[in-house]
Amino acid sequence: MTNLRDDPVGAATRAEERPVITLRGVKKYFPVREGVLQQIVGHVRAVDGVSFEIRQGQTLGLVGESGCGKTTLGRCIAGLTDTTGGGIYFRLSEADRMFLDEMDAVGQDRQTSEQQAKVESIERAHRIDRLKGETWRTYRRNCQFVFQDAFSSLNPRHLVKDIVGRPLRVYKEASGTDLTERVVELLESVGLGRQHLYRYPHQFSGGQRQRISIARALALDPEFIVLDEPTSALDVSVQSQILNLLHKLQQDRGLTYLFITHDLGVVRLMSDEIVVMYVGEVMERAGAQELFASPRHPYTEALLAANPDLLEGDEEAEMRGLEGTVPDPARPPRGCKFHTRCPVATPRCGWEVDDAVAWLSDNSTILEGLGGVERSSDFESVLRFAEPGTAAEAESLLASAAIPDAMRAALVELDQDGPELRIRFEEVDRVRLEDVDVGHMTSCILHTSQADLDSRP
Amino acid sequence: MTAPAAAPLSDKTASRVASVEELRIHFDTKAGRLHAVDGVSFDIFDGESLGLVGETGCGKSVTARSFLRLIPVPPGTYAGGRIHFWSKEARQTGGSPVDLLQVPASQMRDIRGNRIAMIFQDPGKALNPALSIREQVAEVFYQHRSEDLLDGWNGTPPRPIRRAAGQRSGKLEWLAFKVPPLRSPARRLRKRVDDLVGDALAETQIPNPRKIMTSYPHELSGGMKQRVMIAQALACNPDLLIADEPTTALDVTIQARIMELIRELQLRHQTSVLYISHDLSLVRRICDRIAVMYAGRIAEIGQTRHVFHDPLHPYTRGLLAAIPSLAHQRGELAVIDGTVPELIDPQPACRFHTRCSYATDLCGRLDPPLVARPGLRPVACHGYASPDELGVAADQLPRLDRDAP
Ligand SMILES: Nc1ncnc2c1ncn2[C@@H]1O[C@H](COP(=O)(O)OP(=O)(O)O)[C@@H](O)[C@H]1O
Ligand SMILES: Nc1ncnc2c1ncn2[C@@H]1O[C@H](COP(=O)(O)OP(=O)(O)O)[C@@H](O)[C@H]1O
Ligand code: SF4
Ligand code: SF4
Ligand SMILES: [Mg+2]
Ligand SMILES: [Mg+2]
Repeated sequence: MTNLRDDPVGAATRAEERPVITLRGVKKYFPVREGVLQQIVGHVRAVDGVSFEIRQGQTLGLVGESGCGKTTLGRCIAGLTDTTGGGIYFRLSEADRMFLDEMDAVGQDRQTSEQQAKVESIERAHRIDRLKGETWRTYRRNCQFVFQDAFSSLNPRHLVKDIVGRPLRVYKEASGTDLTERVVELLESVGLGRQHLYRYPHQFSGGQRQRISIARALALDPEFIVLDEPTSALDVSVQSQILNLLHKLQQDRGLTYLFITHDLGVVRLMSDEIVVMYVGEVMERAGAQELFASPRHPYTEALLAANPDLLEGDEEAEMRGLEGTVPDPARPPRGCKFHTRCPVATPRCGWEVDDAVAWLSDNSTILEGLGGVERSSDFESVLRFAEPGTAAEAESLLASAAIPDAMRAALVELDQDGPELRIRFEEVDRVRLEDVDVGHMTSCILHTSQADLDSRP
Repeated sequence: MTAPAAAPLSDKTASRVASVEELRIHFDTKAGRLHAVDGVSFDIFDGESLGLVGETGCGKSVTARSFLRLIPVPPGTYAGGRIHFWSKEARQTGGSPVDLLQVPASQMRDIRGNRIAMIFQDPGKALNPALSIREQVAEVFYQHRSEDLLDGWNGTPPRPIRRAAGQRSGKLEWLAFKVPPLRSPARRLRKRVDDLVGDALAETQIPNPRKIMTSYPHELSGGMKQRVMIAQALACNPDLLIADEPTTALDVTIQARIMELIRELQLRHQTSVLYISHDLSLVRRICDRIAVMYAGRIAEIGQTRHVFHDPLHPYTRGLLAAIPSLAHQRGELAVIDGTVPELIDPQPACRFHTRCSYATDLCGRLDPPLVARPGLRPVACHGYASPDELGVAADQLPRLDRDAP
C-alpha cells in the first residue's frame, strides 16, 4: 500500500476502473482582503466540498458556468495550488477510500490506535499534499495540465524545442540529440513536426499553439491530464481537430482526462462521466448519456434548455435562459445554492434573510427607508426602517403574491412592530449529493430523500 | 428559440433597410494589403433579423463597423462598394437611400445611435466606468431625443431648459438651475429624463431599474451590462440594430436570456437586426436568414432553415459537421483540413480552394461570384454553375453531391 508504483489493491477492481484521482470533500477558499491593513474580511469559497473519482482511462467532464470553481479545482488536482480542506488522493483504491469514509464517520476520537495508524499510512501514501520524495515526483510527472489560453501559458521567448523539451530536462529524462529526437516524436504525435522545432509560439495559429501545449503535457508520458477549456478559445473547425487529437492520444496512450469546459456539446461528446458544478459545489454527477437523457437536477435542466441543439427533436425546442445572476461565492446561498434562481424551488430549499432583503430592495421606497438589518442568523433578523409605514409596506410586500410562493411558505415569522420588521425563515441544512440511480447522483431535494416535502404547509 | 415568422423574407418586393453592394475594406499592413472584406453583398429586409456568421477573422466585425464608418483610416481603406440605407421616411415615401460610405460626417452623427445602433461583445469596454448608468443612458436621450425630453410642457419651455435638453448649457446656466425661477423647470426636466431612462431599462427586464440607474458599470454583472447596452441601443427606436457577438462573453444561461430579449424587442419594435456571431447554433435560434462568411467573402446566404438543412457551400457543410452534436461519435468530428488563407493580396481563386475536397483546377484560378441560380439560393461555388455559364467543359466543374452534405 505504501508503494505508489505497484498498488496491489488496484488489481482487485477492474484495471480500467481503478481511480487515478479521488477527491474527498475538497475545499479551496481565497481570502477577501479589505482596507489599508488588508485585513481578511471573508472568503471566496471557490471550491466548497467536492467529492468524486476519476477512473483510469476515462474522461471525466467538469461543466458549469464561469466562476463556479472549475479552474481552481483543476489546479488543486494538478497540485498547482494547495487546498483549504478535504483531500485529493492519487491512486487511492476503492477499499481504502471506503475505509477513510468509514473512519470519518466514526470520528477521530473514537478510532482505535490501529485504525488511526492505517488512516495515517493511507494518507501518507496517497494524499497529494502529504506525498514526499519519490512518490511526490511520481505523482507530479503523472499529472499534467493543459491551459485554456495556450498563448499566455507558452513562454514567448522560448523556442518550441525548449518549451516541449523542458519537462524532459527538468526530470533528467533526456539531453542532447536524444532530447531533440524525443521532442520531434512528441510534436509528431500532435500533428506537428521537425520543421517546427526552432520557432517561437507567436509564429503559430491558436490551434497549433494548443497542440504545442498538449505535446508539452505529454512529454513525461503522464497517466492523467487536466484539460482546462482546451478548445474554448478556438473556432469550431479548429476545435474539432483538437478534440479528435485528444481522443486519439487517449486511445493510444491510455490517458485519463479531467476535461473542464463550459460547453455542453463538447463535454457530452468527450466525457464518459460528467460532473455539473455550481458555485463551488457539485449539483449532479452521472454518465454522459444518462445526464443528457434524464437529468435529475433543475440546474442541469437549465443548462440543457440554453443549448436546445443537444436535445432530441431540437428543431422546435425553444432556447430558454435563467433569470438572476450567479451568487457571490464569498457569501453563497444557504440550503441549495441554486435556490435563488431555481424555477422549481420549494420552501425547503434554503430561503434566508438575504433573499427577503433582495426582494425588498426591488422596491425603491422600501430600499430607501431600510436603515439596517440586524441578523441573529442567516435565517432570522430584524429589519429596521425609518418609518413604521415603510415597515408595514415591507411586511405586506413579503406577504404578497409578488414574492415566490416557495419563499413565502418558508417564512415562519413575519412581524411588524413600529419601525421594526422581524422575519424568520425555517432553518434548513445544506443539501447533500445522494445516489438516485447506479452511478447517478444529485443534490436536488426534489429527487432525493433529504427533505420531507409533504410535511410542509 | 424558434423564430416566429415575423419578417417578409426573400420576397423581392419586401422593402429593404440596407443593401451592401460589393463592399471592400482593405488594411495596409507590413506584409502587404490585407483584403479583410473583399466584395461582400447582402440585403437586410425591413423587420428581419439577418445572421452574419463565420470564423474569427473572416471580416464580420469590419463589415459591421463600416455601416457606421468606424473603420480606422489609415490603416484601413474603404476600397470599394456601397452601403445603401433607407431610413423609415425613405421606406414609407419610397424615397431613395443614402450611401453610408458617402454621407457627410454631420449626417453620419445623426445616423449613429439614432437610425443605426450597435451593441458589442464586451459591454464592459463600451460603457464609461466613471459615469452612472443613469448618465450613460440619459446621454442617448439628450443627444438624439431632446424633443421628447420637452414633451408635455405647457407652451414653450424656457430657453435655458431647451438648451439643457440638447446638452448645450453653459457653466453659468447650470448654476442658474439650482435657484428659482429655473429650479423647478430644471427639476422637471430631470424627472422626465429619469422616467425615460427608467422605462428604457425596464424594457430590457432589468430588475429594479431605479436602483440600477444609480449604479456604476463595475457594480453590474456582464448580463446586466449587456442589458444596459441594449437599453441604450434601443432608446431611440433605431431602424437597424447591429449586434456584434453580444453574448459571446456571457454564460450560457444568461446568453439565452439576452437572446430571447433581443428577439422580443425586435418583434415588438419591428427593428431590423444584423446579428453577428461565430456560433452557428446560436444564430439559428434567432435569425430569419443567415449569411455565411469566409475569408472576406460571402459563401452563401439563405433562410436559416434551408442553410441548416441543406447547406450548399462546402465550407458551410464543413462548419456544420464540425459542431459537436448528438449524432457525433467521439474522435469522429468532421474537420476542415488546413487553415484560413492569408488575406494579403489574394489571388483570383476561390478563397476555400486550398481546403475544399471538391476543388478542381478551375477553383484555383477563378473566383466564384455569389449568384442565385434557378431553383437555388445565392451561393459562391463553381459546383453549382453550368458549363455554359463559365464557358468550360462539364468535367472541369466540381462535382457537388447535393444530397449528401
Ligand atoms: N487567486 C484567486 N484569488 C481570489 N479569488 C480567486 C482566485 N482564483 C479564483 N478566484 C475566484 O474563485 C471563483 C472560481 O474561479 P475559477 O475557478 O476560475 O472558476 P471557473 O474556472 O469555473 O470559471 C471565482 O469567484 C474567482 O473569482
Ligand atoms: N485596424 C485593423 N488593422 C489591421 N487589420 C485589421 C484591423 N481590423 C481588422 N483587421 C483585420 O481584418 C480581418 C477581419 O477582422 P474582423 O472583421 O475583426 O474579423 P471577425 O470576423 O472575427 O469579426 C482580420 O484579418 C483582422 O486582422
Ligand atoms: S434543491 Fe432542487 S428544487 Fe430546491 S432549489 Fe435546489 S435545485 Fe431547486
Ligand atoms: S468553388 Fe471550388 S473550391 Fe470553392 S467551394 Fe466550390 S468547389 Fe470548393
Ligand atoms: Mg476557468
Ligand atoms: Mg469580430
